[in-house]
Amino acid sequence: MYRQLPYAAKLEKAGIPTVVIDLEDQANMVKQEALAAGVPNIRFLHGSRTVPGPEDVEALIEPILEGLTRPLTKKEKESGHWEPSEQERILFEGTLDEAQTFYQQTQYIGVPVNAPLCVYTDGFPIVIPTEERVREMLTGTSHKPDELITLKSERTLRFGMVRKIGDPVRFNPSGGWNTGYFTATVEQVAVNAVMAGCKPEHLPVVLAIAESGCGVSTTNFPSQAVCLSGPIVKEIGLNTGCGHLGPGSPVNGPIGRSYQLMALNLSGAVVGITRMACQGSPLNNGGTCYGENADGLPPGWNGLNEEMGYRKNESIVMVQDIGGGIQGSQFSPGGYRAFQKSGHGGIARRFDVKGTPGPHNWLQYIVPGLWDSREGGFTFVMVPEMARHLYDYGFKTKDEVYEWLWKQSFVTIKNYRGRSWPDYAGTNGWTGIERTSGKPWKELSDDYKIPLVNDPFGNCIVIAGGQEEASVQLAGGHGNAFSIDTWR
Amino acid sequence: MATKDKVYKCLSPVGNRNAVDTFPLAPRLNTIEGKTIYLSVCGEPDITLALEKRLKVVYPKVNWKTKRTYITDPVPLSEEEMKTADALIQGVAW
Repeated sequence: MYRQLPYAAKLEKAGIPTVVIDLEDQANMVKQEALAAGVPNIRFLHGSRTVPGPEDVEALIEPILEGLTRPLTKKEKESGHWEPSEQERILFEGTLDEAQTFYQQTQYIGVPVNAPLCVYTDGFPIVIPTEERVREMLTGTSHKPDELITLKSERTLRFGMVRKIGDPVRFNPSGGWNTGYFTATVEQVAVNAVMAGCKPEHLPVVLAIAESGCGVSTTNFPSQAVCLSGPIVKEIGLNTGCGHLGPGSPVNGPIGRSYQLMALNLSGAVVGITRMACQGSPLNNGGTCYGENADGLPPGWNGLNEEMGYRKNESIVMVQDIGGGIQGSQFSPGGYRAFQKSGHGGIARRFDVKGTPGPHNWLQYIVPGLWDSREGGFTFVMVPEMARHLYDYGFKTKDEVYEWLWKQSFVTIKNYRGRSWPDYAGTNGWTGIERTSGKPWKELSDDYKIPLVNDPFGNCIVIAGGQEEASVQLAGGHGNAFSIDTWR
Repeated sequence: MATKDKVYKCLSPVGNRNAVDTFPLAPRLNTIEGKTIYLSVCGEPDITLALEKRLKVVYPKVNWKTKRTYITDPVPLSEEEMKTADALIQGVAW
């Protein structure tokens, strides 16, 4: 959608008539994108999600002909200049109770939602962004309130397109930096930070998150998470211990929430209109912010900031797309201890180490089945003790673990052909060359093996959590890192 | 005045949407017969494979051409193709 509508618009402007076929529930999104591309009256038709192809096509044939030949209406011949409704800095004046009601206002979203959804919030009550509170929030940064959010480091987009330092971040539901039609100021980010319940000392983190463009992707099951690394973790009291992914922290919760509020208010990600994630995600319901317990890293293991190209004393936020959700430990903590301490129990029997004390590579228990129905990297969030077991087992660096994990992701071409995404994202219809062999996809034998993760760095490890021997796997690897220090 | 009755000025959390220059649609065709029309396919083979076949049967006098990809970025017409293209059907947009 984000690339097809601009393309159709380009052709219309060049004098080539087009007809766009979309899916019915995405009509609102087509209209939004057509306007953004400068051709608000583009002609489009609906395909069906359920009617078999040949039957569906019969219903499209005549409308396609009509779309290409019916003379233009007066409105379709018009050119002009679309101005958004005037954006007032002061949105509301009234008491705090009245303001709460105002900011909680809803709009009814028809198909495919059919329910009222909040216009300015994530559905929960907010901290009202009074002028005074926003002014106080802005004491958390040296950047001026009217400064535009711009890139603080160079970014490479699809097809090698480069966005330079200082380029305004173009907010867009599909992701920032590129074709988005919103920009934002430091003050507007601060307003969202207040609403989320953040404190001034959190603002540099929230500004760094804003630099990501706060994309939410569009369809399927996208989840977003932000992970902090570096001195900022202790400075602001982020919970990286027991329950860090759950409720209770006045830091993790509000910062995670700020992402979702900015996605709505700065990127224009409106559920059912421009945010079409069919099932939504509980990771986005209130937002997800977690962080690295650098003290829990085994000797020689780099912190997240270092492995993302920053120094140990630099603070960063990694913005992640957790496309496949979250999966918990598949073993009982007691069984894990028996396995590691003395070689007893089911896990020890599985790996034939009964009676042999650890350290053992516990990841061997997690990996089988991990990629059965999903391709791509995972983030393994593990407690310090479990990371130490991997170190004692022999992984003296994180990179060695990454290399091992990557090798576990190999499957045969026969297996790969039976998956859903490769047709689309993995091989582009089985055209072109497979990377590891240098051969055309269609020439590879059924038993040739390829990795389901592009490279070892496709997976990610974060040390966090309490004392109990448990891990979670977030279905999405390393994200994009942004400096927090540049926003102080 | 009680705190609960105090009136506050509250700020907008919404970003700045940019203005857009809008353009008319391209003039439509008098007929599609004898024209060069591209079918620009992105994904959804269930519809587009059947559509390609059916269009050729129903409108045999059209010079049908196909640009096919499975990813979301359409395969663009070359500059030369832009000169000879009379129309384009883009589908499925998702």
